[in-house]
Amino acid sequence: MNDPVLVLGGGPAGLSAAHALAAAGQNVLLVDKENVLGGAPILSGYAKLVPSGEWAKDAIGGMVDRVRADPRIEVLTGERVMRFDGNPGAFNVALGSGATRAVSAAILCTGFTHFDSVNKPEWGFGTYPDVVTTTQVEQMISSGRGVHCPSDGRKPARVAILLCVGSRDRQIGREWCSKICCTVSSNLAMEIREEIPECSVYIYYMDIRTFGLYEDKYYWESQEKHHVKYIKARIAEVTSNGDRLIVKGEDTLVKRPITIPFDLVVHAIGMDPNVDNMTISAVFDVQLEKHGYLAKASSYSAMCGTSRPGVFTAGAATGPETIDDSIAQGQAAAMAALASLRTGLPQAAE
Amino acid sequence: MPIHEKSLIRPENLIRNEQLIIDGVDVSGDWSTFIAPRVITDYNEALEPEIAALPGGEHIHRCWQCGSCSNACTVNALNPDFNPRYWIYLIRLGLESELLRDKDIIWQCVSCNKCTHICPRDVDPEGVMKATARWLELKGHTPPSPAMEFDNIFSAQVITTGRIEEGRLLRKFFAHTGQKLTQDWLLGLVRGLVMRMPVGLLLRLGWAGVRAPRTRKWASTQRAIEEFIIEQEAAQRVALGLPPGETR
Repeated sequence: MNDPVLVLGGGPAGLSAAHALAAAGQNVLLVDKENVLGGAPILSGYAKLVPSGEWAKDAIGGMVDRVRADPRIEVLTGERVMRFDGNPGAFNVALGSGATRAVSAAILCTGFTHFDSVNKPEWGFGTYPDVVTTTQVEQMISSGRGVHCPSDGRKPARVAILLCVGSRDRQIGREWCSKICCTVSSNLAMEIREEIPECSVYIYYMDIRTFGLYEDKYYWESQEKHHVKYIKARIAEVTSNGDRLIVKGEDTLVKRPITIPFDLVVHAIGMDPNVDNMTISAVFDVQLEKHGYLAKASSYSAMCGTSRPGVFTAGAATGPETIDDSIAQGQAAAMAALASLRTGLPQAAE
Repeated sequence: MPIHEKSLIRPENLIRNEQLIIDGVDVSGDWSTFIAPRVITDYNEALEPEIAALPGGEHIHRCWQCGSCSNACTVNALNPDFNPRYWIYLIRLGLESELLRDKDIIWQCVSCNKCTHICPRDVDPEGVMKATARWLELKGHTPPSPAMEFDNIFSAQVITTGRIEEGRLLRKFFAHTGQKLTQDWLLGLVRGLVMRMPVGLLLRLGWAGVRAPRTRKWASTQRAIEEFIIEQEAAQRVALGLPPGETR
């Protein structure tokens, strides 16, 4: 029997990889730096997930329970990997607690870090309490408190959602699309309209990227059924008149500047590389790609591989990713790791 | 705000000085080419629901501004200011003052429905144009268009008699809109009819024009239609925040 496979990170990808390995009879060591499993959906208190519509605590919570109950999976939370040496099939892991463990392979499911809106000060986050992030709105919904203005608790009459906050912005070195924010924002807009029917919701966009089957389910549905309004403008600044927030920008379709009052401004924050990626790169001796995510090996010959043999990766560790695709990649990484242990590292198909 | 498009300079803001010399310097020409303050400071959120409440406007909220309608538009090809895509956007945002700038050309839609057939979101832009023209009339921004006058005379005749008699329809329409009956094309048409039609048919045509026959047992149908129209108009006026009472 092989030594356990190390799965680093207990979010959707890691939970999926651990479960898949265990289901195939492989022992697993699942390590997460946080004290609870579940990753971003649980730690950040997401509400209803795209596209299932299930509550995060039920959907991801179910994955956590399944992993917790599995005798083949040893879970270490509040733990970090300090050193990782050895060769495929025989690696040694030194943990933060000082313990060392032998593992046969590693799957890095270390996810992403939410963009910190303070890095775009012109949009008012950190200055005005009623400027919040999509994550905070998720929390308002998932906590049962409902959508409200943090300043005084009132229900907003008018909400602006600003897309591409921390994405597609050379000024702050983020030259990627975070992939899911358009869809998440459309979804949140619909939830706001359902909770507060008299509230008007405006989405300020550069492009709408509700890709694939999210097009009609989120973008069209939000317009057609929930009368969410989409305005083509990248907002220049968010200020306040002392009473309400003032959103300034240019409506590019009517070619006119806008200064519109709002009660609540929501930043659709993007997905940054995990803040720990430099450390992860050094500890595991794996390369990062140019944006700072983990570099992937060729999909055609070494799916879920990294630059180091025997070390695999899945999910948002390698770039902005959806929950469903992270779960799929977790399972794919499990398959790649198992195959490498049973038949040796794959020959390049090309 | 820098001028970034010359098209944004509005002619009504221009001041032309044919001959202006200040301190011996000739400064004749167009003044005030600066763009007057034109910042959008609020959205009128009532506008879209008002248009959507009128027949044809129901699906305006589906629009995503692709511009297929304006590209396909027959009238836009002749007059680039006729821009359904733009008006739909203005209505959706509630930029009423901007919409009113074009009030005198919106009614010009010829209902060719090219936009309807090309729209990827099934907005029915032709219906929206109709609804918008109707909105402009109901709100008193524009007088009834000739097309609307024709429709009114047409329906009044149907409601009264249960049928259409083209001769009287044309006479009334021309009288109402101050047009001469002796227009060349009309005289030509009548002359052609008289020369080519069987005599019996001509006599019946003439007789119908004089006598205005009614469909038999029409009274109850007439009442039902009238009630329906009054009901619909009242509903439309209420949706626009107008008193329901007035009818045409």
